Amino acid sequence: MGFLAPLMLVGIVALAVPIAIHLIGRRRARVVKFAALDFLMGTKRRTARRFRLRERLLLIVRAVACAAVAIALAKPYTSCSRKGPQVTRGPQAAVIVIDDSFASGYLIDGQPWLKKAADECRRILQQLGPEAEIAIVRASEAAEHPTELTRDHLRLRDQLLALEPSARPADTTRALSHAAQLLAASSHARRTVFLASLLAKHGLRPNDPPWGKDGPALAVLELRPSSMANLAVTSLRVDADPGAGSRGMAFDAEVANYSDVAQKVELSLTIGERVVARGTLDLAARDKRSKRFLAALPPGTRATDASVAITSPNDALAVDDKRWVRASLADRVRVLLVNGDPRTVRHDDELFYLEAALRPGDREDSGTFVRTITAEELAGIEPHARGKAGAIDLAEFDVVVLANVAALAAERATVLADWVRSGGGIMIAPGDRFDPAAYDRTMLPLLPQSLRDPIDTTWGATPQDRDSRALHLVKWESDHPIFAPFSKTAPELADAKFFKIALLGPTTDTADRKVLARFTNGAAALLEASIGTGRTLLLTSTLDRDWNDLPIHPGYLPFVQQSIRYLARKHGSFGSTEHAVGSSVALATPDLKKLEVRGPDNVGAIFEGDRIIGRTSVRFSRTERPGVYRVTGTDKAGANGVRDELAFVVNIDPRGSDLTAAPPSALPPSGTGGGSSPSDESRRIELWHALAAALLLLLLAEGLLVQR
Amino acid sequence: MNLPERIDPAQLARLGSLTIKARVIVEGALSGLHRASVHGSSVEFAEHKEYSPGDELRHVDWKAYGKLDRYYVKQFEQESQLTVYVVLDASASMAFSGGGIPKVEYAGLALAALAYLVIQQQDKVGLVACGDRAIETMVPPRARTTHLHDLLGVLDTLMTKGAKGDESPAAALSRIAELARRRRALIVLASDLFDDSDDTLKLLAQLRAQRHDVTVLHTLDPHELAFPYDGLTQFESLETPNKLLVNPAAIKKDYLARMDAFLTKCRGTLAAAGVDYHLVQTDRALERTLLDLVVARSRLGPGRRAS
Repeated sequence: MGFLAPLMLVGIVALAVPIAIHLIGRRRARVVKFAALDFLMGTKRRTARRFRLRERLLLIVRAVACAAVAIALAKPYTSCSRKGPQVTRGPQAAVIVIDDSFASGYLIDGQPWLKKAADECRRILQQLGPEAEIAIVRASEAAEHPTELTRDHLRLRDQLLALEPSARPADTTRALSHAAQLLAASSHARRTVFLASLLAKHGLRPNDPPWGKDGPALAVLELRPSSMANLAVTSLRVDADPGAGSRGMAFDAEVANYSDVAQKVELSLTIGERVVARGTLDLAARDKRSKRFLAALPPGTRATDASVAITSPNDALAVDDKRWVRASLADRVRVLLVNGDPRTVRHDDELFYLEAALRPGDREDSGTFVRTITAEELAGIEPHARGKAGAIDLAEFDVVVLANVAALAAERATVLADWVRSGGGIMIAPGDRFDPAAYDRTMLPLLPQSLRDPIDTTWGATPQDRDSRALHLVKWESDHPIFAPFSKTAPELADAKFFKIALLGPTTDTADRKVLARFTNGAAALLEASIGTGRTLLLTSTLDRDWNDLPIHPGYLPFVQQSIRYLARKHGSFGSTEHAVGSSVALATPDLKKLEVRGPDNVGAIFEGDRIIGRTSVRFSRTERPGVYRVTGTDKAGANGVRDELAFVVNIDPRGSDLTAAPPSALPPSGTGGGSSPSDESRRIELWHALAAALLLLLLAEGLLVQR
Repeated sequence: MNLPERIDPAQLARLGSLTIKARVIVEGALSGLHRASVHGSSVEFAEHKEYSPGDELRHVDWKAYGKLDRYYVKQFEQESQLTVYVVLDASASMAFSGGGIPKVEYAGLALAALAYLVIQQQDKVGLVACGDRAIETMVPPRARTTHLHDLLGVLDTLMTKGAKGDESPAAALSRIAELARRRRALIVLASDLFDDSDDTLKLLAQLRAQRHDVTVLHTLDPHELAFPYDGLTQFESLETPNKLLVNPAAIKKDYLARMDAFLTKCRGTLAAAGVDYHLVQTDRALERTLLDLVVARSRLGPGRRAS
C-alpha cells in the first residue's frame, strides 16, 4: 500500500485527541460524595458493564474516525496484480480471440472454462465502449473467422453468449494471425488483441509468429487454471482376432495421462449398445498406455460401431474420454478356385479341404465368396468381360488359386499376370498334374521362382518309416501377416507332415521375393513375390492331402484364410472408416439415387438429385461432432436401407487433449499497437473512497452511541 | 391558619447559638397559633405563667390581667409529664449535602427546635445520637431549662463535628426502648433511614407496639430525591470505600425507581405500624417542618397523646 499525499499522514496524531479527551474526561469527572450510593451500586451492576463498553466503543470509534480522516487525506492506494488486462475506453480497434477448442469445455468448479472466458470477454467488450471497432475470432482449428471489425456490440455480445465448445483442437496461432490481419486493415491507431485462451502448447506455433514487432498489442487474459490435469483416450484400433474365432476382434485403446500425478482409470468397451468388457489401467504421470480388449461381434452382424470410454473422478474434460471405431468383419474376399484335379468322390477332390477352410460351415458370414472352376474353364477368363456370356471376369475376384493346375497356355498366363500386376493376388500350389518343364515355359510370369521336379521324401520307405521321414514346416516368418495367428513353434503347423514337395529352380523377374517358410530339410515351403501391384504366393506342396496332411491339422484353416486375405490385401481394412472431426468423408454411391447421413446430435445431410446422380461418390463435410455417422441409401429400384458398409466414425484430434501450458515465449511479442502497452501487470486501486465511506459509517455509529 | 414566612435553613444555620436558632424556629412556627397542641392539661390549678406565644387563650387569666395589666396563663398540675426522646442519626450518610445544608445539620436544627419547644412546655426531653460506634451520645430526659442548654450543647457538638460512622439508628432506638420501658414517651427520630438492614424500621414498629408515640423525620436531601446530576461523575460513598464512575443520565431512571421503592417501603411499613412519618427535604423551611410536626400531633386523638 502506498500514499499519494503521505504528508497528510501527520494528521494521524489527531488519533491522540479522542484518547486524551477520554483520559482527561475520566480524570476530570466530578466527584460527588453521595449517601445513597447503594442505590447507584445496585443500578451499576446492571449498567456499568454496558456503560464501560459504550465508553470504550466511543473511544475506539472516535479514534478510528480521526485516523481515517488523516489516512483518507493522504490518499492511500494499493497495487495488485491485474487479473485482466488494462482496458482503455474510447475509439480503437480490438479483436477478442477466444479459445473454443474442445478443451474449453474443461470444467472448473462445475462450469465450462469457456463460460468463464466468455463472461470475461463480455466484460472487456463493455469496457472498450461503443466507439471501439471489435471482432471476435474463435481459436479452434478451422473455425470460421469474421471478415471485418464491427461496432455492433450487441451482436458480438450475443456471439459470446452463444459460444459452445467445438470438437476441434485449438489453433491459436492461426486465430492470432487472422486477428492481426483484421487489425491491420483498421484505421485506428490503437490496436489490441485480447487473447482468452487456455494457452495449450499444441495450439501455438512459436516458429510461425502471427505478426512482427509492429503488430498489435497483445493482452493475454489470465484465465488458465494453475493445474489442468486431463485423461484421454488418444487412440482406438480394431483388428481381427482369428484366435477368438471368425468374429473375434481385438480392440487396442491407448489412454494418456496428461497430469503430473499417477492416475487409475476404468475403461469400458461398448459394442453396439452393450458394454461387453471392462478393465482398469494404472497410468504414471505423463504416461501413455494401451489396453487390449478381445471381443466377438454379435452373431449376424458383419459391421458395427464400438467405443472405448474411460471414467475417472479426476477428469474435468469429458469430450476426449471416449473414442469410437467401426468394427467390421473382414470384407468379403472373392476367390476364384481353379481345380486342376476334380474328382467325383468329394473328399478326393483337390479343393475339398480348401473350400471347407475358406467357407467354414458354408456360412454366408464367413467373409469369403468362392467360385470354383476347372482348369479347362480357365481358358475363358477375361480381364474385363462384364456382360460377356460364358466368360469369367477376373475383375470380380480378389484372389485366384491354382490348385494342382497343369501349366496354362501362354496367353492365359499372360492374362492372369496382367491381372495380378494390376492388383490381384494369386496362389499356386503344385500337385500331381504339375509339370515343371511346362511351367517353365508359360507360368514363369506368375511364379516367384521356377519349379523343379518334386521329391518324395518317403520314397522306398516302409510304412513304419514313412512318418519319420516326412518333412515339417519350420522357420516361418512369424511377423508376417500370414503367420500372425501362429507362434514361432505353433504345433498346429509344425506337426503337419509333408511327404512330397516341389523343389525350386532359378528365380524369376518378380520383385520382393521372399521365402516365408521352410521345411526341415531347408527347402522352401512358401514363397511370396510382388508382381506390379499384385502378389503371388507359391506353396511347394499340395493344398489337399495328396502330398501332406496339413489340411487335417488345426493350422490349415487360419493359414489358408490368412494367405487369401493377405493376397486380397484386406488386412488393413479395419478401422479405415475413422475420420477426425472436421474432415471431409468420401462416400461411394454406386447405384444409389439418394443417400442420407446422420451423425450425433442428428446432424446430417441428404444427397439426392444432381448431388448424387451420375457420381460415383459424394463428400460429407459436416463432421463437427465426434461419434458414429450412419448412412441410409435408396437404390435406383427404390429400395431403401441402412448402408452399414458406408457408416463411419468421427473422433476428436487427440492432440487437443494435451493441455500442457505453452511457455511464455511461445506467445507472439506484444507490439505497441499504436497505444500504451497493456503489458503493465500491476493496477493501482485507490482506497480513499472506501475510507471516506468508512468514516461516514463511523460517524453514524458515534452518533448512535452518543444517543444511547 | 397563617403559615409563617419561610426561613431558609441555610440562613438559619448562620445564626449564632443553637438555642437562638431553636427559638427562632419555634417562634416562627408557632407565632399566631392559638393553641399549643403539645400542652398538658389537668383539672387541678398549679400556678400562673406569663403568656407566651402558643399558649391557649382559653387559659388566659383575665382577672389577673385586670389587676396587673399583664397576660398570665393558668397552669394546671399535669397528671403525668411528657417525656420526649429526640434521636439524631449522625451517621456519615447524614453528612451529605446536595447544595444546601447537610442532612445532619437540618435534622439537628429540627430536633433542637423541638427540644426547645418541649422544654418550654416543661416536659422532659432527652437526646440519643447514633453514628459513631466509638462514642455513645446520650442526654437523659429532663425538663429543666438548664437541661435544654446541655442538650442543645451536645446537639451543637454533633452538628459541628459533622456526621461520621455507620452506626444504624436501630442501636439508639434499642437504648430508648430500654430506658422508656416503664413510661410511655414521644420518640422523634431524624434520619435518612439508609440502613443496610430493616432493623430501624422494625425497631420503630416495635416501639410503637410498646405504646410509645413514634415520629420519624425522614430527612433527605433534594438531590437524593431528584438526582439532578449530569456529565461524567464519580460518586463516592460516605460510609464505605465504594466509588462509582458513571454517566448519571444513564442510570437516573433506575436510581429514581429504586429510591421511589425505598420511600414507598418506608412509608408503608411505618404507616402500617402506626408511626407518624414525615418525609423532610433539607431545603424545606424548618419552621414549616416543625409546624407540620406539631399540627400532625395535634390531629392525633387523646389516645395517641403520650400524656
